[in-house]
Amino acid sequence: MKKLLGAIIALVVFANVLSSGYVSAEELPRDETLYVGGGLWSQPNNFNPLTPWAAVTGTIGLLYETMFLYDPLNDKLEPWLAESGQWVSDNTYEVKLKEGLKWQDGKPLTAEDVKFTFDIAKENGGVGWAPIWDWLSEVKVVDDRTVQFIFSQPHYEEWTYWLYNIPIVPKHVWESIEDPISYANTDNPVGSGMYKLYKTDEMRAIWIRNDDWWGTKVFGKPAPKYIVYVIVYSNNVALSMLVKGDLDWSNFFIPGVPDVKSTYNIVTWYDDKPYHLPANTAFLFLNTQKEPLNNPDFRRALAYAINPDEIAARAFQNQVLPAKPSGLLPVPVFEKIKAKDLEEKYGWKYDPEKAIQILDSLGFKDVNGDGYREFPDGSPMKFEIIVPYGWTDWMEMIRIISEQLASVGIRAEPKFPDYSKYWEDLTKGTFDMAINNFGSQVYATPWQWFNWVLYPDVTPVGEPSYSGNWGRYKNDRVIELLELINTEKDENKKLQYYRELQEIMLKEVPAIPIVYNGAWFEASPAHWTNWPTEKNPYAYPISWNNYWQMGGLKVLLGIKPVKSTTSPAETGTATTSQPAETSQTTTSSGEGGGICGPAALVGLAVVPLLLRKRKR
Amino acid sequence: MSGIKRYLTRKIVIYILTFFFAVTIDWAIPRFMPGDPVAVLLSRFATLPNVAEHLHSYFIQAFGLDKPLWEQYISFWNALLHGDLGISIYYYPKPVAEIIKSALPYDIALLVPSIVLSWIVGNWLGALAGKNRKLDSYLMPVFYFLTASPYFWFAIVLAYLLGVKLDLFPVSGAYSYGIIPSLSWAFIKDFLHHWTLPFLSLFLVQLGGWAIGMRNMIIYEIEADYAHYLEALGSSERLILKHAFRNAMLPQVTGLALQLGLIVAGALTTEIVFSYPGIGYVLMQGILNQDYFLIQGCFLMIILNVLVANFLIDLLYVVIDPRVKYSYTGGE
Amino acid sequence: MKGNTLRIALKNNKFKIGVAIVGFFIIFALIGPMFSKFDPLGYYVIKIGERSATKASIANLPPGEMGEIFTPQGVIKVKHYLGTDSFGRDLYSQLVHGLRSSLFVGLVGGGLATLIGLLIGFVAGYKGGWVDEILMMLTNILLVIPTLALLIIIAAYVTYRGVLIESIIIGLTAWPWTARAVRAQTLSLKEREFVALAKIAGMRDLAIIFGEIMPNMVSYVFMVFILQFGGAILAAVGLDFIGLGPTRGISLGIILQNAVLWNAIQLGYWWWAIPPGLVIALLITGLYFINTGLDEVFNPRLRREE
Repeated sequence: MKKLLGAIIALVVFANVLSSGYVSAEELPRDETLYVGGGLWSQPNNFNPLTPWAAVTGTIGLLYETMFLYDPLNDKLEPWLAESGQWVSDNTYEVKLKEGLKWQDGKPLTAEDVKFTFDIAKENGGVGWAPIWDWLSEVKVVDDRTVQFIFSQPHYEEWTYWLYNIPIVPKHVWESIEDPISYANTDNPVGSGMYKLYKTDEMRAIWIRNDDWWGTKVFGKPAPKYIVYVIVYSNNVALSMLVKGDLDWSNFFIPGVPDVKSTYNIVTWYDDKPYHLPANTAFLFLNTQKEPLNNPDFRRALAYAINPDEIAARAFQNQVLPAKPSGLLPVPVFEKIKAKDLEEKYGWKYDPEKAIQILDSLGFKDVNGDGYREFPDGSPMKFEIIVPYGWTDWMEMIRIISEQLASVGIRAEPKFPDYSKYWEDLTKGTFDMAINNFGSQVYATPWQWFNWVLYPDVTPVGEPSYSGNWGRYKNDRVIELLELINTEKDENKKLQYYRELQEIMLKEVPAIPIVYNGAWFEASPAHWTNWPTEKNPYAYPISWNNYWQMGGLKVLLGIKPVKSTTSPAETGTATTSQPAETSQTTTSSGEGGGICGPAALVGLAVVPLLLRKRKR
Repeated sequence: MSGIKRYLTRKIVIYILTFFFAVTIDWAIPRFMPGDPVAVLLSRFATLPNVAEHLHSYFIQAFGLDKPLWEQYISFWNALLHGDLGISIYYYPKPVAEIIKSALPYDIALLVPSIVLSWIVGNWLGALAGKNRKLDSYLMPVFYFLTASPYFWFAIVLAYLLGVKLDLFPVSGAYSYGIIPSLSWAFIKDFLHHWTLPFLSLFLVQLGGWAIGMRNMIIYEIEADYAHYLEALGSSERLILKHAFRNAMLPQVTGLALQLGLIVAGALTTEIVFSYPGIGYVLMQGILNQDYFLIQGCFLMIILNVLVANFLIDLLYVVIDPRVKYSYTGGE
Repeated sequence: MKGNTLRIALKNNKFKIGVAIVGFFIIFALIGPMFSKFDPLGYYVIKIGERSATKASIANLPPGEMGEIFTPQGVIKVKHYLGTDSFGRDLYSQLVHGLRSSLFVGLVGGGLATLIGLLIGFVAGYKGGWVDEILMMLTNILLVIPTLALLIIIAAYVTYRGVLIESIIIGLTAWPWTARAVRAQTLSLKEREFVALAKIAGMRDLAIIFGEIMPNMVSYVFMVFILQFGGAILAAVGLDFIGLGPTRGISLGIILQNAVLWNAIQLGYWWWAIPPGLVIALLITGLYFINTGLDEVFNPRLRREE
């Protein structure tokens, strides 16, 4: 029997190994390997930079690089592949590339590659940045290192976004690929970045440092020789890996972190609540095409009835900040345009009495005595709030909202459809109220944020809409303002327009901001140190798809190995404070990152079981 | 002889028909599910409406979802007969066959040993309990408890006790993230280390079921007329038990074959608890993302497995049990 | 005859233990909520005038601790028999309501599966011929498609699911084994003299099925039902756990799912993850005991105890 058992196991292991196709016997050296997780939800098998939303995290950033980075901590667009970039006339933007750029196969990266990157989007509508060609007319190569973008109608704000979101691809590789949209690009992809793709399998993507990286002399060399980006399907596994020091850098939302943080020396951005930087605004979208949600006063009453503080505490254990009425994230790019006076004047604060007062005055009263208000004509009034089933913190969130609304007499039942149904209701406008945050993150330009929240091109109810403004709020002035901001160069005028937009939002309440979802970041000090934190704020520490250029890359350049020889006993000794190294990191502002549009990738999420927690 | 031939011919016809129906259902079911799979795929793209719109039609076309249903059905069979299971939507652009190929070894590694070993040990313990009443009164409740436990709950308990409390085994994955699969001793050790907990939880729960089955069969056989007859003739208890055991084995072998047929679907929840990258998990992803092609591929695997296992049992019965007349009897 | 069976049954220890366990859980499910001041989801219900609102207690309390609920009328202290989860919801209340829904699924799902299985098995076995062929083909096809997988797909169809729908889904997929077994039983009974006599006497098919064959199978049917009852509960727990359970309400599987999602194991909140599964395992063990006990009662040869 033992023999049989042995034979079976041997056979099975053998079959396993054969099928995975590996031959080398190798264990990655722990001290040179960085384990990262939180932005990979399925087997890594797509490294196509032209479809950033489907690509494995790191495809843009580690492998392919953008011309600029965006640093949300300082609201700075920072040159990366570019040396400089500016508007040389009203409709021409000129980029000068750095000297000595080269691809991982040794060929030089030139202006031709930049031109090619844009031209390929002209021919293939599925490329992420194809819509640019609606307002871009030509990409002109001036010399090897200089490119000019000539616009038919410059969209200044949108352009800023693309500057740090378009990965430059090598012409000599991609020009011969037949269907570039569905090309998986898994065999030795050639990028220009600081890491090369090493191996992938069911559980991870492994990156190896590009020791020949052009940027070494400019930015230095990233410390980890290998990056293992792990797939972790459930956050309980993520937590146990983190406390054991098996996961160095986590971008998961992990319940319970506040409880165990000090026991295991887990590094978070803030030592105390809210623990994390903000990443996006979670809104309660109200269907403005339905009675009585089409009434701004009614919507305002709802806003008064909802208490974001309680939601942040109960649904998120205070790992998030409650949102202010403007919904603008507390980061510099938004602070810059935020009209605090208007928020004071037209905003609201949790005040159920005030809500009751408004509702009474609108004529929504409880006439049949069931504890809930009816329409002024006496017909029953009932709403449903939806979030995808299994997104547990959101489920908790709408339960609390439902309670809070009930206490002012509004019946709003929490409902948990499966993700696909939720998505259908949301995009077709067939819901009453819904939580969503897919496009409300930090951008280099607030325009992008407003353009999602108040997205102008909404379809009629019943037809799918592809961007935000799920409540289908319509306002001609808003459409005009969004257009004006996008095409305006003058910063002061823009500021005025932004003020006007905020005033409309505060007065009209198209959607109610609830909380600022966190840029979840938990790091283990066991093997790597000098993590960015509030006290050492050198980078926005997120490794999600399209967030590398917003700070993830800087983290790689900033972290240091704890010791070159690690013994298992050491785990507890490395503490978070490494004062000696702090000074040096403050200078590392060389890169910047941007957020990214299709960051929604991370939200993919459909796995009810596991991760429902993936909020970017 | 011709009887057996006719029996087999009939069986084969039935299997072919069953296969046809099962595959048709397999094809039909995901297509009538609510929701638009491409829209869900593109929901990752919510900030770039123009591109999303463009890609929507691109994908609908690429996956052939714009064609009339009958055309989709025919091309499905056509591709199937060429071994082409299509391209996964969720794991786009990876072919389904490849996804299954890379996930299958983990299922085999986990399920074959757990099923076979639990069968061997379970039958052995069950037989012991069957012939020894004293032992039986202790063991039977344990067996029942094991077989009554949900797989994943048992997995949770083991993970809590052996993984978290005692820290003896890792609680997730098929091997360490830092090791590259190879035939080295280090890797095999690591693999087995990760394999232990999921294996144990499957092994123990299944063991209960086998043991109960065997115990009941043995008791039944011991009390059967022929056993009393043998006893009256003065045969040794050993001989009687031997006979009883042999007769009791038949349904157990059937059960084993059926269980092996269910290999793919069997460990779904366990795979989820331990993040074990098998087909169960892949199937789950497919369903949650309305990935038609992935769902179909996984189901096809399952159907084929079960059909082959059933057919083997039929053959076995012809060999072992000449009394087979109507059909094989299933045993639960 | 009946009284006799019952008397023998009541002498059977396995039967008695099984009935005690299952009976305990049934009674617990019936009266358990009376000892709880919380709603099925584990929230404390307060009244504000006409309306009621729900409030959570302190999070992550171990069993037996006192929780505090802040209400407009002041702080209320309540004991949590089984502690609270990470949202401050009472686990005792969730457990007892979860048990209710499990028993409901067992009753409806198991009952439905038994009924369908009986019907198809009877008809196939009794009629024979092409009716038998077709019904058995249907049965075999359904057997080939693994139940859990089928369940997953059907469950995904229905976007808002309640416990009743879940039960029906389970009932509709779980019957093939029963049908097969019943068919075999029917086949053997059909050959018995009393059926032949009934036929000669000119009784109609249905009359024969219900008048002659059925009574001889009651014991068997009852045992099948018990197995289906347990099977339905297990199937439901599995569905709930992978996130395809009821989208409203509570169940034991949902408690377990939440526990795993919210790191109960890693954080040491065993009272969240262990009790629901234990309840299921014990309940089903009890059912199996009843089944074995009955088997011994109906098949005197199997009786090991006097």
